[in-house]
Amino acid sequence: MPLSILLPMVVLGIAGIAVLLHLLGLSKPATFQDEAAARRAWLREFPEDTPTRVILSQDRHAALVETPQGPGVVWPMGADTTARYLDGAQIKQTETGLRITLPDYTAPRITLTLDPEEARHWPGLMEARR
Amino acid sequence: MTDQLTYPDVVNFAVPVFIALILIELTWIVLKRRGGRYETYDALTSLVMGAGNVASSILLGFVAYGFFMALWAITPLDLGTSVWVVILCFVLDDLRYYWVHRFGHRIRWVWASHVNHHSSQHYNLTTALRQTWTGTFTFMMLVRAPLILLGFHPAMVLFCGGLNLIYQFWIHTEAITRLPRWFEAVMNTPSHHRVHHGRNARYLDANYAGVFIIWDKMFGTFVPEQDSEKVDYGLVRNLGTFNPIRVAFHEWVGIFRDVIQPGLTWRDRLNYCIQPPGWSHDGSRDTSETIKRKHLAKHPEDANTPGFENLT
Repeated sequence: MPLSILLPMVVLGIAGIAVLLHLLGLSKPATFQDEAAARRAWLREFPEDTPTRVILSQDRHAALVETPQGPGVVWPMGADTTARYLDGAQIKQTETGLRITLPDYTAPRITLTLDPEEARHWPGLMEARR
Repeated sequence: MTDQLTYPDVVNFAVPVFIALILIELTWIVLKRRGGRYETYDALTSLVMGAGNVASSILLGFVAYGFFMALWAITPLDLGTSVWVVILCFVLDDLRYYWVHRFGHRIRWVWASHVNHHSSQHYNLTTALRQTWTGTFTFMMLVRAPLILLGFHPAMVLFCGGLNLIYQFWIHTEAITRLPRWFEAVMNTPSHHRVHHGRNARYLDANYAGVFIIWDKMFGTFVPEQDSEKVDYGLVRNLGTFNPIRVAFHEWVGIFRDVIQPGLTWRDRLNYCIQPPGWSHDGSRDTSETIKRKHLAKHPEDANTPGFENLT
């Protein structure tokens, strides 16, 4: 197939499907129903590292997790979730919450939307136990 | 000897069909509220990975094709172009696919290329298009060499490989549960391939087939989908980014960082490239075997059930 046909078809196909999915409301980030759901999401990534404490964000989109191995976060990846420890993390407060930079090529930046009180409180919890 | 032989570029011609089937699957899921899940960023990442795969084939395809034509120039065999030869080529190329795919899960160097196909936590038709950008660097073209040397023309081998990829597109769906028993017995199906995409301990390193599931049954890697255990899709450690560059290259970066660690022997450095994913020189990481063994330690009742055979 000539590139002059293939290229526009691929570009329009990708853009069209992405716009359609968004208009169908399929861009909403995952929400944790409760702390138990956040705990399950953590254990899905680190099945041997049982959390000792789970702090759910006010909007229920993220959770701070404390484990004997150190603190971590669970956060949405689209409609799903992933989790990471905070080893080597640089934590910055932003207008909408926190931006965490990790020395991890597979999760270089975590953007957490938190209310102002959480955004002030969480870095202390993250730092204290590292 | 047949030097000038051309077949249609079937994968590119299938692109509009892929787009149409994605729209049909999406419509089905939205209307019926079952049969799978779609999410914008995940699907967009998969589609961009697919486009990048086509681009890398255009840019780097000459490497494999040149290698195949060099083999074709030296082989004294030419099986011709009859329909029966094409069918035989398709079957043997599917056997080739099984082994390349198995190497892709058991050799980290090859996994580095293949891992992105498993990096979605979704399983829908866009996942099928989440293909590698770095396949050329795995040197798995070598596994096709016997076919060329046996007298199958390189254009025919690549044509059959294209048909194989097209077949595998439609099996990336949750909208189809099970197909007739005779079909499930012989062919790779959505059910069998869902298992392959599972991160559950039970489903790791299973069902490598492309078109015919018989290869897994012959070589002991077949695990049937269990009604009692829903497939959990994605990687053992899921990615925290949708950036296609990071999706495409993250395991290569991981290999590089492991290999340049100070204080390792050369054997350790080599092993970080060729041992199964999860291997580490100090045993601090988990391979699929250790994940399965740890699962059995917690759930001894699963011993000798599908996916946990031959583990003590």
